[in-house]
Amino acid sequence: MIRSVCFNIGHGFLDVAQQVGGIAIMMVRIVSRLIPPRIDMPELLRSLYKMGVQSLPIVIVTALLTGAIGVIQAAYIVKRYNAYSMVGAGAGFVVVRELGPVLIALMFSGRVGSNNTAELGTMVVTEQIDALRALAIDPVRYLLVPRTLAMIFCMLVLVMYGDFSALVSGAFMSWAMLGVDFRLYYQGMVEWVELWDFATGVIKAGFFGVVIAMASCYYGISVTGGAPGVGRAVNASVVASAAGIFVLDFLVTNALGD
Amino acid sequence: MSKRYGVQDVLRDVALEVPTGQVFGLIGPGASGKSVLTKTFCGLVRPDRGGVEVDGQDIARMSEIGLHAVRSRFGMQFQNNALFTHLTVAENIAFPLRRLTDLSDAEIRVRVEERLERVGLAGFGDRMPGGLSGGQKKRVGVARATVNQSPYIIYDEPTAGLDPVTSQKIFDLLRDEQRATGNTVVMISSDVGGLLTVLDRVGMMLRGKLIFHGTVPDARSSLQPEVKQFIHGETEGPL
Repeated sequence: MIRSVCFNIGHGFLDVAQQVGGIAIMMVRIVSRLIPPRIDMPELLRSLYKMGVQSLPIVIVTALLTGAIGVIQAAYIVKRYNAYSMVGAGAGFVVVRELGPVLIALMFSGRVGSNNTAELGTMVVTEQIDALRALAIDPVRYLLVPRTLAMIFCMLVLVMYGDFSALVSGAFMSWAMLGVDFRLYYQGMVEWVELWDFATGVIKAGFFGVVIAMASCYYGISVTGGAPGVGRAVNASVVASAAGIFVLDFLVTNALGD
Repeated sequence: MSKRYGVQDVLRDVALEVPTGQVFGLIGPGASGKSVLTKTFCGLVRPDRGGVEVDGQDIARMSEIGLHAVRSRFGMQFQNNALFTHLTVAENIAFPLRRLTDLSDAEIRVRVEERLERVGLAGFGDRMPGGLSGGQKKRVGVARATVNQSPYIIYDEPTAGLDPVTSQKIFDLLRDEQRATGNTVVMISSDVGGLLTVLDRVGMMLRGKLIFHGTVPDARSSLQPEVKQFIHGETEGPL
């Protein structure tokens, strides 16, 4: 019994160590292909379109609802303490520093990260990666580098769009529910929310982009066991990305401070 | 050479020489190590023991970067076709030309159309691989493997899933191609009858070992029980 528990704990640690080590090695390989930077432009543009442009609608819808829900939740306290001038400040602070980057990262991970893992995993099981190698094409340079760059860049841009959308929907909801006019909402926001707050959210988005790219590429490229293996890899990728997002959120928030 | 995955020996002391400019076939039951063996030829799989010599170079110990030059001399058609699902049929066939040559777009287009016509898929260039039947995918794989006119070509099950008439047409096509270019071809196929009509030499794999290696007439008349049973499709025997 004790032996079995120890075995399972040890096995779990080894498993995690293997995955973290694998991701670290893959990251080094990706960075090494960027020195000097020789990027496959058609693949990068294709990834940017697929991951960024096609994610825009769902990101905007998520952000619009997030901004509106934030105001609905705050409405009770705003009314009770007559803090109407603080609605813009509260919404801006929460959205640009925290909710915007985290929720958009989770949405991005679910849509783009999982798709990336499934696509790479399918390429592994259908021998497409072997076919690239057989054609003297480096799969890291051709597949992983453009996807990683595209995911990081798309996260940065999508969070900016998402922040703007959430703030706009928050303004409309404040006006509709609390009667706060747009000028008061805006004034409250610019008075309290600084450029650094916005930068904090964007910096976080960059880190989240890295973690989603690394997890989705690693689990995709290391698929084993045919089609069922692809399903397991997608699951592992989404879980690892979500965990990574929260861990990094904690670390970056602490590191960047107020 | 030998190769082991986990506890399973997939290649056991295989010693083989593929003569230049000939068509060499590998036969054997499923999971006997045929695909792994052919993948060692272009460095996709590295043996644990022994070496693989291509044009006088031992490629088993080369770095991935060093292998690029070797691999650019190979064309390969995979068992699962390995077509790039995000590219059209024409883009799949053009892929090696775009990556490995300096040909112009117009020259590439002409080559791709010629290949498509040759494998009986004229007019299919704009389709996506997902919309093709199994046999059509095989033919696209053959077109991509041959488009670069590489000196070494490996076909892994080029006729699997095709009807007997189309299979024979593909075998004849591959043989004609080889005669025209003089390249070295290694072919794996479960369609032993069709395969033997186009080979110069044949080898048989069984449980990771090369148990027979010789000319086609030698194989047909072999009294080795496994070879005899497999080639003649007999149900009684050691297999």
